Amino acid sequence: MPTCSRSESSAPAIAGPGFRRGSGIARLGLALAMVSLGSGCVDGRVGQPAADADAAERVRVALVASTDAAVETGVEAAATGTGWGTLKGRFVFAGTPAEAKALAVDKDTEVCSKDGVKLLDRSLLVDPSSKGLANVVLFVRKSSRVKDSAPPEKPLVFDQKQCEFITPVFAARVGQSIDVHNSDPVGHNTNIAGTSFNQLIPAGDGTLFKPEAETGMPTMVTCNIHPWMKAYAVFRKDGYVGVSAADGSFTIPDLPAGETLEFQVWHERSTGPSGALGLAKPDLKWTPKGRFQVKIEADEVKDIGTLEVPAAALGG
Amino acid sequence: MNTTTSADIRHARGQGPTWSVKIVLALLVVLGSTGCGTTPPAWFRLNMVEATKQKLTSDQERQVATLLAAMFGTPDDPVALPETGLDEAKLRLAAGPVRSDIVGRKNGLYREHCAHCHGVTGDALGPTAAFLNPYPRDYRPGIYKFKSTERADKPTHADMTRILKNGIPGTSMPSFALLSETQIDALVEYVKYLSIRGETELGLMRAYFELDDDAEGKLPETREFLVGEVLEPVAEKWKTAADALIPVPEMPADIDMVASIAKGRELFYGDKANCVKCHGPTAMGDGQANDYDDWNKTIVEWTKEVVGTDDKQWASRAHRVLDGDSLEPRTIPPRNLRRGIYRGGRRPLDLYYRIHAGINGAPMPAAKGTVPPEDIWHIVNYVRSLPYELDGELGADRPMVARDRF
Repeated sequence: MPTCSRSESSAPAIAGPGFRRGSGIARLGLALAMVSLGSGCVDGRVGQPAADADAAERVRVALVASTDAAVETGVEAAATGTGWGTLKGRFVFAGTPAEAKALAVDKDTEVCSKDGVKLLDRSLLVDPSSKGLANVVLFVRKSSRVKDSAPPEKPLVFDQKQCEFITPVFAARVGQSIDVHNSDPVGHNTNIAGTSFNQLIPAGDGTLFKPEAETGMPTMVTCNIHPWMKAYAVFRKDGYVGVSAADGSFTIPDLPAGETLEFQVWHERSTGPSGALGLAKPDLKWTPKGRFQVKIEADEVKDIGTLEVPAAALGG
Repeated sequence: MNTTTSADIRHARGQGPTWSVKIVLALLVVLGSTGCGTTPPAWFRLNMVEATKQKLTSDQERQVATLLAAMFGTPDDPVALPETGLDEAKLRLAAGPVRSDIVGRKNGLYREHCAHCHGVTGDALGPTAAFLNPYPRDYRPGIYKFKSTERADKPTHADMTRILKNGIPGTSMPSFALLSETQIDALVEYVKYLSIRGETELGLMRAYFELDDDAEGKLPETREFLVGEVLEPVAEKWKTAADALIPVPEMPADIDMVASIAKGRELFYGDKANCVKCHGPTAMGDGQANDYDDWNKTIVEWTKEVVGTDDKQWASRAHRVLDGDSLEPRTIPPRNLRRGIYRGGRRPLDLYYRIHAGINGAPMPAAKGTVPPEDIWHIVNYVRSLPYELDGELGADRPMVARDRF
């Protein structure tokens, strides 16, 4: 709790008339003085740099003056090629994953824990035989061209069954219909953080949702009625998103060929900033912000091979 | 003329101060007159939770503070760029220290009426905030609960005016109905200003992560970026709030109220509207009760990250930020619908809004889309009947005594 913000007055102002006995005043005064000296004037909060007033004034003048001038048209129109290529690869987990924890299921147990099924934490899914790491998300940060400019007509089904979202991580295009469905005999609500969507999904029913904006990093999807339910969604305009499958593999087709594409990589458990997954892959210029670069030729299927994810990158 | 000094009184009462009292009084005078130094001008505090979460460097924090000062000015000297759609004259009436202007009109309304809870920055970290339950609203994420617009849309000017005039029953937010229309109008404008400022700040802080590596960790200070990409998308939502009004079909005037209440009850307990899951089998809020609202959830989720990190140095700073710049997270209990206290207003229309759009920032989901409007009206009617017990005769209600019923 904040103790002494700069705008508050300090304690001694309380001293005034009305105290009768000398020793009383002395004790109270001493106490007040000690409080004042001990804590009152010391701001325990983390310090922060003040604004640079001159620089602020300069920026403001520039903002008001240049109503339309001085618009930077920089590298956006970089050289672009023709044709389309595919990127593929596979994420593997270098380590032994701890046993998945059981989730605390305490509502609607007759449905959610039917036949004694225990719901498990799915934040780290590793295929035992191939070590493949599932649900790594990668998407193109900026692309100059898109093969299919319109999102697919067919709605993407996002379903929930036995109090679990069937797909733990899913991608959709901005403007694409998502059929948020509920295959359970109990009601759910689906709450997609950072969007306008938090709706009741009655038992056996569904409703459509069209994302209106890109998510940046994947956003959390929850059910407030059953708080253990969790999934992640990523919405992109161009649809250039891959989510690694159970064996860790991913394929992103129809990428614009002949230009350097920068990919952003994310995993739910990643310790990087905002869940960014940084790997030691200098050949792909992989950064701690979880970004790497590739250039694909037309009709090429570029395989960036097996990408080892150390256990430490996912919090051990 | 007989003048009596305080010294005379002390002599008369035989209670001259002892040496210790003198010293202490002297100490108090010194402390009282100097305090913590001269009072610095009021300043906006950075959103340290977000800054630390985004691991901003101190240069980056300084850049955010500077850019915000450029775009929004200071608490004593607010600035509203034309793109915000805000009226600077109204802001000036609400901003600054409490004082009177040359014609005797009161200025500094925000600090007089609001800042002690909502904070000078609108961060809900005013001196009294920690003692309130629920906590005061933090304007910076730009999320508002009680409004006539669709879930994710901003409240209209009229929505915010209604909150200021009526207060929020069941919370510490009082009514400001005694202020003049002009004063309320100025305060609403100022809350919008703090909110647009706060959302712009979040946008700037999050933009560092999106920077390309060749930007060297510095945000572009161009109009295209600051106004076009960060400010305008936020301001636009405020400007278009009135276009996002929830369509409300009128409840039929000749509705059979008893049948409607019965239908509403069925929906309340059924798995289509599912109200029972959170508001509970008694409708007293005894269902799902261990969830958080968006403001508290931000702190809860971030605390998990701080506790789980290996970066000791960052964690120690983050713990200090949690101590100084956030309040202890609290769960949000679903409303007890039998008390007849409605935070967002007690009109049937208000309840219709809440059920149709859900409550933004709270777990309450929208019924829109899956529950048709006539059913929403049935639920409204049932909810409105809950604080009373039907007495057998049509429409003859009496206040419910909980003990009688359960």
